[in-house]
Amino acid sequence: MIKLQNVHKYFFKDEPREVHALNDINLTIEDGEFTLFSGPSGCGKTTLLNAIGALDSIDSGKIFLDDKEIGSLSEHERTAIRLHEMGFVFQAYNLIPVLSVEENIGFIMKLRGFRESEIKQRVLEVSSMLEIDNKLSSLPHALSGGQQQRVAVARAVASKPKIILADEPTANLDSKNSQKLMDMMRELNEKEGVSILFASHDDLIRESVRRIIKLNDGALVDA
Amino acid sequence: MFSLALKNILFYKGRSITTFVLTFLSTILFVVYVSMMDGSHKSMLENTLKIYTGAIEIYHKDYRDIGGNEYLIQDVKTITDKLLHVEGIEAFTARYETYGLLSSAENSAASMVAGIEPDKEKAISSISLALKEGAFLSDDSGSCLYMGEGLVQKLKLKLGGEVAFVGGASDNSFAADIFKVCGIFKTGSFEFDLSTSFVSRSYFDKLMLSQNKASYITVKVDNLEHVDTINKKIVQTLDSEKLESLTWKTLMKTMVEAMEVDSIFGYISLSLFLIVIFFVIMIYGFINVSSRIKEFGVLRCIGLCNSNIFSLLFYEIFILSTLAILLATPIAGTICYYYSLNPIVIEGIAEMYKDYGIVSDEIPFDFDIFTITWNLAVIYGLNFLSILYPYVYINSFRPIEATKHV
Ligand SMILES: Nc1ncnc2c1ncn2[C@@H]1O[C@H](COP(=O)(O)OP(=O)(O)OP(=O)(O)O)[C@@H](O)[C@H]1O
Ligand SMILES: [Mg+2]
Repeated sequence: MIKLQNVHKYFFKDEPREVHALNDINLTIEDGEFTLFSGPSGCGKTTLLNAIGALDSIDSGKIFLDDKEIGSLSEHERTAIRLHEMGFVFQAYNLIPVLSVEENIGFIMKLRGFRESEIKQRVLEVSSMLEIDNKLSSLPHALSGGQQQRVAVARAVASKPKIILADEPTANLDSKNSQKLMDMMRELNEKEGVSILFASHDDLIRESVRRIIKLNDGALVDA
Repeated sequence: MFSLALKNILFYKGRSITTFVLTFLSTILFVVYVSMMDGSHKSMLENTLKIYTGAIEIYHKDYRDIGGNEYLIQDVKTITDKLLHVEGIEAFTARYETYGLLSSAENSAASMVAGIEPDKEKAISSISLALKEGAFLSDDSGSCLYMGEGLVQKLKLKLGGEVAFVGGASDNSFAADIFKVCGIFKTGSFEFDLSTSFVSRSYFDKLMLSQNKASYITVKVDNLEHVDTINKKIVQTLDSEKLESLTWKTLMKTMVEAMEVDSIFGYISLSLFLIVIFFVIMIYGFINVSSRIKEFGVLRCIGLCNSNIFSLLFYEIFILSTLAILLATPIAGTICYYYSLNPIVIEGIAEMYKDYGIVSDEIPFDFDIFTITWNLAVIYGLNFLSILYPYVYINSFRPIEATKHV
């Protein structure tokens, strides 16, 4: 369960160019949700995902992951939560340039100490679902945007984390690939009970999710 | 982390090659330079010991502090008989040194006049090789003096000139004689050349009544590195309360200090060199890391903690410096070893050396595994130190900020 209480986040606080990126967010997300944050560009979707993912600090309010309040944890503990409980799909892909596609996808599993054979099998599984299994030995810079995006998704889902935070995972995909991705996500959500939170404008995602949370100017529109 | 480090090294070739080459070159330079410095000190010492001061000298107690005829060694033969049985001694000779007034027709000067055994002296010191004019002494050179160049000039003498000597004999009676300058030497030590003359003992002992007496016995050892062990053996063999046996370390405190000062300057210039290398390696590491801030940010976002990042940097530098050092060590070692056996000979310097009576025109290197080992440890240490600043720099970004870094 994820719970946000009166969460505020500013950029450039107390400067003329101050941005109130998250404005008094109160929100509860149960385990196993399949949910979309939607809203116009710049409304704070990415900022909210980063806050939930213990990636970014907030200025006031509290965020609980189960019973742990993120703000009270050390950077080391937050890192451990990110590694063991979360999977991130970044809007900017953020692949590791020196690792091949295969190694990128398996990287988190490796860090978490999965067995080599298990990693290999799982990498094959997700990469064939996302149709990047023919690119396994390439380096990221040799891939198209859409292919990189699918690698980023594959990396996030491979280790079957408790929560997946996916920021615009379909932005660079055609509808066929978007559909495949959503099918895989839904299967993960339904079979493995993984909570999945999207931030997106994509209608396909809007139609697939079970709950939509609308944001505008950093505030919830109707929860 | 290790395999990721390896991949980073292969991926960021520019940085890897620079770090590798710098480490490689600095290892070679450092090891060779230290070896040359140590080696030239050793040869400097050997040369100085060759001039006059022995590696070991045996005195009657208090001769060095108080002096005077009552502290002369009285039974040279007994002692030298014992020395014949001590292992590690290459040669020895007894010297009788006295101070007196030397007067020429034009001038007078106080001088040390030393009675020496010319043939044995040849085997021990390089006094005979410091000859500038005339000839060195021999057992039957009689009233011939072998005089320092400075003293000759002070007395306004020439080769063959006559000089009157007045001094105290070993029984405290007066002794006076006329000597003739048969040889002039120059060791390069100003003080020494200005105040020293030699005369053959076979003649001098009759004048000074100093047969079988000596100011001290000087000993040459076959290996200078064993001087302390040999000295211990001598003390044991002599087994005498009245005698003391001292090594060059005590005899030449000032020389030892001078060498230490020289070493310190050597090390200062070396440290400057190493600091430059250190900064270049660090700056390259830093430039590399700055261009990878985003990558490190991603790693931290998806769950690498600080210690993971540190080990990543550590492994990268570890692999690079280990490779460089592994490759450089045999090369540097070979250079040191080769030149320790075949010292570098510098032609121009040979002439200068001759003038100074120091007969070596060679700069031998010192080949010492221990020295090489600590040299390598220093290079290693510097390489590891060079990752600290980049590490701090990476951590000055919050992970999510870092992923947006360009
Ligand atoms: N690092 C930052 N520094 C300053 N301002 C920021 C930063 N990140 C986001 N903002 C601002 O915060 C607001 C919310 O940004 P956010 O990235 O969360 O929007 P978004 O809803 O994800 O938009 P998009 O749909 O375009 O991805 C925007 O006004 C943006 O300008
Ligand atoms: Mg966004």
